[in-house]
Amino acid sequence: MDSVDLEHFLVIGAILFGIGLYMSLAKRNFVGVLIGIELMFNGVNLTFISFSRFVESAEPLNGHIFVIFVITVAAAEAAVALALAVLLYRLRDTINVDQIDLLKW
Amino acid sequence: MDDLNLLGPQLALLIGAGLIIIVDLLLPIVSRQAYQGRLPLLSGLALLAAAGSLGWSLALVLTDERGEAFDGMISVDDFTLFFNFLFAAVAGAIVLGSVDYLARHRFQGEYLALILIAAAGMSLMAAGTDLIMIFIALELQAIALFALVGISKNESGSEATLKFLLLSAISTAITLYGMAYLFGLSGETSLDGIASYVANTDENRSALVLAAVFLTAGLGFKMAVVPFQMWVPDVYEGAPTPITAFLSVASKAAGFAVVMRIFLAALGEGLITTDWAYLFAAIAAVSMTLGNVLALVQGNIKRMLGYSSIAQAGTILIGLAAVAAEDPQLLLGTSSVVFFLGAYAFTNIGAFIAIIAISHKIGSDQIADYAGVAKRSPLLAFALAACLFSLTGFPPTAGFIAKIYVFNAAVQADLVWLAIIGVLNSVISAYYYLRVVLNMFARDPETDEAFTPSPYLGAALAAAVVGLFAIGIYPTPLIEASESAARVFS
Amino acid sequence: MLPDWGQVGFLLLIAIMFPIGGIGSSWLLGRIRMRPDYPDRIKEDTYECGVETEGPTWVQFNFRYYYFALLFVIFDVEAVFLYPYAVSGERLVVVGLIEMLTFVGILFIGLLYAWRKNALEWT
Repeated sequence: MDSVDLEHFLVIGAILFGIGLYMSLAKRNFVGVLIGIELMFNGVNLTFISFSRFVESAEPLNGHIFVIFVITVAAAEAAVALALAVLLYRLRDTINVDQIDLLKW
Repeated sequence: MDDLNLLGPQLALLIGAGLIIIVDLLLPIVSRQAYQGRLPLLSGLALLAAAGSLGWSLALVLTDERGEAFDGMISVDDFTLFFNFLFAAVAGAIVLGSVDYLARHRFQGEYLALILIAAAGMSLMAAGTDLIMIFIALELQAIALFALVGISKNESGSEATLKFLLLSAISTAITLYGMAYLFGLSGETSLDGIASYVANTDENRSALVLAAVFLTAGLGFKMAVVPFQMWVPDVYEGAPTPITAFLSVASKAAGFAVVMRIFLAALGEGLITTDWAYLFAAIAAVSMTLGNVLALVQGNIKRMLGYSSIAQAGTILIGLAAVAAEDPQLLLGTSSVVFFLGAYAFTNIGAFIAIIAISHKIGSDQIADYAGVAKRSPLLAFALAACLFSLTGFPPTAGFIAKIYVFNAAVQADLVWLAIIGVLNSVISAYYYLRVVLNMFARDPETDEAFTPSPYLGAALAAAVVGLFAIGIYPTPLIEASESAARVFS
Repeated sequence: MLPDWGQVGFLLLIAIMFPIGGIGSSWLLGRIRMRPDYPDRIKEDTYECGVETEGPTWVQFNFRYYYFALLFVIFDVEAVFLYPYAVSGERLVVVGLIEMLTFVGILFIGLLYAWRKNALEWT
């Protein structure tokens, strides 16, 4: 093993994405779910950046630009989500996703 | 300046939103009293913005302005313009339908501004021809909708927001992962670049299929098709009713617009077309069946329409499956999807506005409480019945033509089995739609007190019902519009 | 490969040895009773020479901290767009300036909103 290739980054990106997906589906705490979602976004970001670095492209910077946008949008989403967490805690005294179950099919 | 001219319809909405926020903030400084009575001013501004957007789109059509703007980030073509009209009109109707709701509500400025922002985001989703642009537009409407769903700040509203937000964020991340692989394979973020890669490559097939599956999974959430429909009934029930209408019509149409952009423009020709045709066909069949069967047992009319909207999304997907399976030159599938979305917008907006008006008076969303509405308010009951007939697909309504159009596309594309499932499902759906109608007309009300909708609701409802019958009786203009929109992808 | 990174690895090794050596030798000297050992309540305090700690660790913070943190995060992250602009500002000339001013203007409306809704007040 003499150099670090695209595959390594892709695998780490996929692992991050997978951990994030698992967390966001398995965690009970709302904030934990949000952390899982952020992890998914970061796995995507790593994938974008490494493709941008390794793949021959007419516009190699597009991957980086995409990542900047993903980061800012994720921050905006997290802001709304955390505001919702504060609201839910005030209304229900819990941010446990399992216990928030007024609506059922 | 040319770029700005092409972006005009969306800019009109966004500027309107900014103005509403600023007026809402600065009005209390001018006069406390004016602030208390700000609703007519603010909703007038919102309607003006929607009208401005419509007018600008019309001007673009009349002056025959087309083309790409902002370095190929967006493309203004017949497809974009069709959806510009659709979203601006829907936003206007939702503003009208919200006036009664807003009169009892604190966050009037925010609500109206967010509606306009979400509409602009949806319209940009249809216009975007670059993955970056599509992603930002997707999130612009999604974040605005989060706030709208939870704006009442009560328990069921915030729970609906929780579910909507979490599932939406997860689906966005999944979409992004698919986009990352598309970018990695082709080295481009523009749909044209991806299309030329996909059309010329014969390797990396599995990675392409993987990217397409991720995209379908992520965008399936926006379209609300099985198996990404879990959020629909809860969010539809918990959100304020005008927002439910907005979600069921505009958000869904935007999802389909993006799917058509990405799958037809970027992945349309080449290795994997038939793969996703069968994927879509399977999703369509399951969505229709599950949505209709679960709608049968619902007691809450908003939940029932939620499940019915899942079924309708399945029906629309038939058209998309037909696109991929058929000869690309035919374009019957694409135009049938566009037509269905247009007809469905009138129908569902009408149904929801009638529900707002009725529920506001009887104080309940339960279907059982709709008993005898026809005796208390014949016009409202008639309007709701017309919309439900259109959803079922009876002539002479828009829904009838739309369903025939979609099923015809499926048959032409040799997907006869899918068309048969669609027809069977229409029969199932007739049961629960007609149950509401029967409840309204055949039963006796508890009180005989008559009521009428407020003028705003009445205007929006009248427009929707007239449109519904107009399309049903004379569909040619809308068919021509959707055909020219579909021709963008040929 | 190895010669290039060998130096870094060597430094890392020393860096790890340093705390382990200190803590380990202290523990070892304590075991063979060469180090004096007189435990004392004051010595075991969290901060021997600081302000005395009070109450449990898991106290609730005032939720207003979150409002400020949220506002900070939003404005901080949105500022990331200023960096690419600063780098390529010379090439974008007037159009870029107008676009950036529009962007900052939109952020300013956000700040205005926060101010008018009293999100910037502590009480």
